[in-house]
Amino acid sequence: MNIKITYNWLLEYLETDTDPYEIQKYLSLCGPSVERIEKVGDDFVFDIEITSNRVDSASVFGIAQEAQAILPRFGKKATLKFNPLTQYTFSSIVPTGEKPLKVQILQPGLCSRFTSVVIENVKIQPSPEQIKNRLSMCDVQSINNVVDISNYLMLSLGQPTHVFDYDKIARHTMIMRESKKGEELVTLDGKKIKLPGEDIVIEDGDGKLIDLCGIMGGFNSSVQKDTKNVLLFVQTYNKRKIRRTSMTTGQRSVAATYFEKGLDEERVEPTLVMGIELLQKYAGGTVGSQVTDMYPHPHTPKEIGVSLDQVKKIMGVNVTTQDCKNILSHLGFEVEASENMIKVTIPTWRSQDIEIPQDIIEEIARVYGYHKLPNTIQPTVYVPQPKEVELFFQVQSKVKQYLKHIGLHEVMNYSLVSKKLLESFNLPFDEHLRISNTISEEIEYLRSSLLPSLVKNMQDNQGKGDELKFFEIAKVYKIRKGDLPEETYKLSLAIDTDFFDLKGIIEALMKELHIEKYSVNKSHGSDEYSYISPSSKSVLKIQETALGQLGELALEVKDKMSIKKNVYLAEIDFMSLALNYRLINSYTPPNPYAVIKLDLTIEQNEKMTYEDIKKRAMTESKFLQGVEVVSMYKNNISLRFYFSSTERNITEEDAKKELEEIKKKIG
Amino acid sequence: MNGEELLTTLDKGKKEIHSSSTIENLEELRIKWLGRSGIINKNLETIKNIPADQKKEFGQKVNSVKKEIETLLDTKKNELLQANESEKKIDITLPGTPYPQGSLHIVTYAIEEISHIFERIGFIRMTYPEVEWEFFSFDSLNMPPQHPARDDFETFFIDFPAHKEYGKMVLSPHTSSGQNREMKRLGDPPVRMINIAKCYRPNWDTTHTPMFHQFEGVCIDRDINITQLKGTIDYFAKEFFGKDRETRLRPYHFQFTEPSFEVDITCDVCKGTGKVKKEKCKVCKSGWLELGGAGMMHPNVLRAGGIDPEKYTGWAFGIGVERVIMMKEGLKLDDLRIVYGGDIRFLEQF
Repeated sequence: MNIKITYNWLLEYLETDTDPYEIQKYLSLCGPSVERIEKVGDDFVFDIEITSNRVDSASVFGIAQEAQAILPRFGKKATLKFNPLTQYTFSSIVPTGEKPLKVQILQPGLCSRFTSVVIENVKIQPSPEQIKNRLSMCDVQSINNVVDISNYLMLSLGQPTHVFDYDKIARHTMIMRESKKGEELVTLDGKKIKLPGEDIVIEDGDGKLIDLCGIMGGFNSSVQKDTKNVLLFVQTYNKRKIRRTSMTTGQRSVAATYFEKGLDEERVEPTLVMGIELLQKYAGGTVGSQVTDMYPHPHTPKEIGVSLDQVKKIMGVNVTTQDCKNILSHLGFEVEASENMIKVTIPTWRSQDIEIPQDIIEEIARVYGYHKLPNTIQPTVYVPQPKEVELFFQVQSKVKQYLKHIGLHEVMNYSLVSKKLLESFNLPFDEHLRISNTISEEIEYLRSSLLPSLVKNMQDNQGKGDELKFFEIAKVYKIRKGDLPEETYKLSLAIDTDFFDLKGIIEALMKELHIEKYSVNKSHGSDEYSYISPSSKSVLKIQETALGQLGELALEVKDKMSIKKNVYLAEIDFMSLALNYRLINSYTPPNPYAVIKLDLTIEQNEKMTYEDIKKRAMTESKFLQGVEVVSMYKNNISLRFYFSSTERNITEEDAKKELEEIKKKIG
Repeated sequence: MNGEELLTTLDKGKKEIHSSSTIENLEELRIKWLGRSGIINKNLETIKNIPADQKKEFGQKVNSVKKEIETLLDTKKNELLQANESEKKIDITLPGTPYPQGSLHIVTYAIEEISHIFERIGFIRMTYPEVEWEFFSFDSLNMPPQHPARDDFETFFIDFPAHKEYGKMVLSPHTSSGQNREMKRLGDPPVRMINIAKCYRPNWDTTHTPMFHQFEGVCIDRDINITQLKGTIDYFAKEFFGKDRETRLRPYHFQFTEPSFEVDITCDVCKGTGKVKKEKCKVCKSGWLELGGAGMMHPNVLRAGGIDPEKYTGWAFGIGVERVIMMKEGLKLDDLRIVYGGDIRFLEQF
């Protein structure tokens, strides 16, 4: 959360010789971060980020408290000029009226402190210039004197307040309770809010809701031009309830961002008293009732001890007892220090964030200054990394680089896909984990394959390039009963050229990884990848283990996805690939004897695939070292046969004889 | 051949060499004259038939002819080479032969770089589940059940029966879920881990994507303190962004660390001054850019990992990968969603 306050406003609480830019620099190093400064007229506006557990500092006074502890560390003067916590007490209030208010809180745990007071005979008018200007510099719109005072109080002390038109509260009765689901009220900003239920609300004596507590007041009880008497209302609420209501209704009011962090009950009193003072001064009102104060569990001070050894262990440097004491007492802690121990009593406004000795060390360390600590690097030690993890990263990097170098583009898709995409690929929903609170139907189901996303990439990129060649390495998630899903890495490819281009990429990759004993064969009767066309669906195997499938995207799916060009897909289990990877190939000594090359063109034949030809030829001829496809034209395929012996030079005649024998076998 | 004849032959040779017009032809002449059975050698062979008193003189003559021929050949060869060289004409502005040009995702480049930087100071890279139990994502990190980060607005929940011990199934909202798993894997310190992984949170707008990457450093040992966390982050920043960059720690709050900091790095655009040509720098906050969160591991987090916080201390940090790579390369994306949009016109640029 960020707040804006001004330099001159701060100086009302702080006596200091520090200029605004020095304040920015020093506070940011040791406390709240002053992100930006803007000069406006003769004043400066600070934009300050408040750390989530330090809502106590989210006010002009809160920053003054931090400043008086931090600035002296940089040789600057800084003392509190005025302390509202001790100056403003209920005992100073003398009511001059007896206006009644009946309050009932139906459930315990809604409101840890409830205070209110009636101010009568107020005059609604514009605020004085100074208040108007300050509010406007801090991004708060000026409405009228009474409403402005409420906002001014919040910025001054960090405690949101509300002001009701006292006369609009029916029977002068307030019943604070949990809302029922579906109840409605119109808030100050004119929005009609339908309540989710169990929200903190107030109904008046006529049973109508007049306040969505901690978030925004009701329109029906709001202060208007003709308001005569007001009820000043200062509370602390159950922070969880406030956050829940605010998030579910989308009413992210400034008050809610304070209340949802949990506020100091002890600050309610000075806030109410300061509010009375301001309403008297700027709205001409008088105290028209007793103060109502319901505070069932008053604050009890907590103590924590920390040893100097512990301080040193975390900070890495020695800090003296005196220094620790100094820092902590400036922050409002009561400190008792012996030689090696520091015992502190936690100030009320810090009771939320200070719990353990480490919290005290943090206070010492930050004010001491992280910038004063040296930079060192811990000794390097050996920590075992599982071999498989090491291998995975090594091969992943190799594969990615290789595919890039042969012209493929790496894509990273969301791990989540839409229901519609699963449907297009005929994938059953119940085999996919589903997000119960997704924010978009585009990302509802965890992927069980990367291919649908890659096909979607093809669809989205149609017409954006002549050839599209994508790959992705990512996890897929397979449901396991009663356990986390099985997360396995897949390497998946999608290209729009042709099947042999795809197969070529896989073959080249196998070569790059020095995997020799692999095969690509027609895949029969596998239910997996039903969206790959049966005409080309093939299985990639290393020895007998299948590690992936490839083929053309089935026409039905292609049509559903409105893709014009044919798409060729492959998905390979990445770990299997990595486990078969070899750093270098096995070595074969060069054959010193002549190699004779002979070409042969034959007609392609469905019954005799290239793989069959190769196998038969290799079994038939003892001199045959290898076969290669030279060219294909129409139905003809030109093959080149390499003949050689490892024992002697063979003649062309020898080779020709061999080829004749082969011809017979493959004819 | 006597001396006279030798000179006549030399004249003839000179003419031949002069009129030669190709390197190949010149090579033939070199063999004809200076080859193993060339004219010079043939003459030298006849020396045995020459009277003893003339042998010396004859030999000198042959040698001087040989030298002359050699010089002539060399000179002519140079002439021809130069002539050939000056005849070559090439328009070197024509494009080179095209080779396939693929691309890697920018996040891949960042991850590789980050891993290498930490490898050099002894950090091993690990990988842990992206789909996690609440226990690992929250409870073990000192985030009690009512903590705001655990509600529906901050974390993706998965429609799956809750685990008796570990709670609901979630998509890990940060890499910190790996802390507990790494402590348990090793049993005892030392721990030196870098965990770079996909994380998920329900935000999707121009500055957020529901999936993003974080890298997390964790170091646990005896005598680990803030100065080492500071030093390690500074080391990373200088290695990754450049020697001239400075870092600072600012007090902050995280449930799983105490003390906690936010780490800032000086802005590259305004060089940490907060001003560009007297105008406020638009990229940073008064000269500083936020890099990520860090802190000393909370004793409850160590305890949950089975490590005694009295004996050991540790630090941890978490930094956004997309953020650092954009900062490093000065990449300005109006809309972060393009990173995971799969548009070829974005991908092919890296």
